[in-house]
Amino acid sequence: MSGLSEYQLIIVGGGLSGIAAGIRAARFGLKVLILEQHAIPGGLNSFYHRQGFLLETGLHAMTNYAPVGDKRAPLNRLFRQLKIPRKSFKTHEQIGSQILFKDYSLNFTNNLDVLRDEIRSVFPDRVSQFDKLVLTVKDYDPFAVGPWRSTREILGEMLDHRILEDMLLLPLMVYGNSEEHDMDFAQFVIMFQAIFLEGFFRPHGTIRDFLYELLDHYKEYGGEIRYRTGVQSIIKHRERVEGVVLTSGEELKAAMVLSTVGLPGTSKLTGWPDDPQHYNGQMSFMESIGVLPAEQRRPVHRQSTIIFYNSKNSFDYRRPEQALDTSWGVICFPENFKGLPESDHFQIRVTNAANYEIWKQADRDEYLRLKKQWRTRSSEVVTDIIGSYDAGCVCNDAFTPLTIERYTDKAQGAVYGSPIKIKDGRTPWANLFIAGTDQGFLGIIGSMLSGVSIVNQHVLNK
Amino acid sequence: MTRDEIKDIVLEIIEDIDDEAEFDDLDAEAPLRDQLDLDSMDFLDIVMELRKRYKLQIPEEEYPQLATLKSCIDYLEPKLKDVAA
Repeated sequence: MSGLSEYQLIIVGGGLSGIAAGIRAARFGLKVLILEQHAIPGGLNSFYHRQGFLLETGLHAMTNYAPVGDKRAPLNRLFRQLKIPRKSFKTHEQIGSQILFKDYSLNFTNNLDVLRDEIRSVFPDRVSQFDKLVLTVKDYDPFAVGPWRSTREILGEMLDHRILEDMLLLPLMVYGNSEEHDMDFAQFVIMFQAIFLEGFFRPHGTIRDFLYELLDHYKEYGGEIRYRTGVQSIIKHRERVEGVVLTSGEELKAAMVLSTVGLPGTSKLTGWPDDPQHYNGQMSFMESIGVLPAEQRRPVHRQSTIIFYNSKNSFDYRRPEQALDTSWGVICFPENFKGLPESDHFQIRVTNAANYEIWKQADRDEYLRLKKQWRTRSSEVVTDIIGSYDAGCVCNDAFTPLTIERYTDKAQGAVYGSPIKIKDGRTPWANLFIAGTDQGFLGIIGSMLSGVSIVNQHVLNK
Repeated sequence: MTRDEIKDIVLEIIEDIDDEAEFDDLDAEAPLRDQLDLDSMDFLDIVMELRKRYKLQIPEEEYPQLATLKSCIDYLEPKLKDVAA
């Protein structure tokens, strides 16, 4: 049947893993089509407009910073694989971030020595344990296939200091853990490297610029993308798949199909896995965005790139019992990256863990009431940390687990996907593969590397 | 193609993959991977580029034969002998 296929590869989902996979396959001459259900690309990492402002969704910052020339760094490997000159990608590193618990605070930058010095002054008897942890992380191969290992258990033994453990885990969990309470140690290593060893940065332009630059590159290689094109099912025939059926009823044949819509999403298209509820992540979030005029920008708004706050001294990462947990969260200042030009406005973004079920069960009026109520509660907690800001906003918006589910198709708005990952990207069908969040890499750079590595292993390496 | 022509092709492909690659002190009998800081993903690009240009199918188990510049030339010489440079 391969001779009759319209496409050599169809990719379901126009997010960053799908686009990266598409570039990789098209670069070597394959006829590739990306199908995106929305009018714009990006999936979780996308953008929208409110009152004339372009607001970015998804990450507050990119992780895995690496300077030009460090060839082995994931960021630079990714650019080589996509054949985009790294020198043409202008980056801005974070100013510095803070982990702020009730009675303790640790600052960190993209230079690990800063975090080490902070630990030396706050927890002086734990520096050698921290050094040992750093060495363990550097030597650990997180991509080797192995059983799930408890990060809590390993850190408990290695650091033997619950507060320091919780402080280190807050940024790593909130930026990439799909499990509650604990985390697979391999995932911990990936996140520790991405955030503490490599660090935060952002591109010079917006995520919109980044997405369209990637897509221009993809199209130069002959890749095709269709927007507003939902997929209804994947056509199966014995051990293979033969293409897709669109929601319009149109059928498209393909020699290979790559699904980037997660395991619950893939289950809707194929019937596998047949127990999709096991693959629903519990962790979702509400994000509030406030846009303020530049003249209201005070020194406190310039100090940090990201503040990971916790009003207690202990931290448990889990779906809250109430609609929102404002006791811990993330405050991000997206303008605070080195060398970004000043603009007329600045933003304050706040992220808190949310309970999907409560938002889901609310009717329209109740949903709007909840959104208003919890947005206010969240801004009150944040006001205690950075001072009053809410009244000065010229534009306010918030998105909930339901908004995330609706626009990204992530089941239950679980931004980090399933707690169970399919690391080799294989499915029961020989020519259907999984890439993206549920393959196991996270973040913008991680999801793109996921698309690249699955295409390398299963599509090109044949 | 002569051995010299094959050598030029291999270096050209590597330069295309990595525009920062430096060939001045390249030892033809030492692993390319260490000297040029390349990884397995980059090696796949060499294989894919040879396939794209010359329709060469290199099976995965033969990738180790591309380890050094000299072993690349030894391996490709019989396969490319009838191909015009």
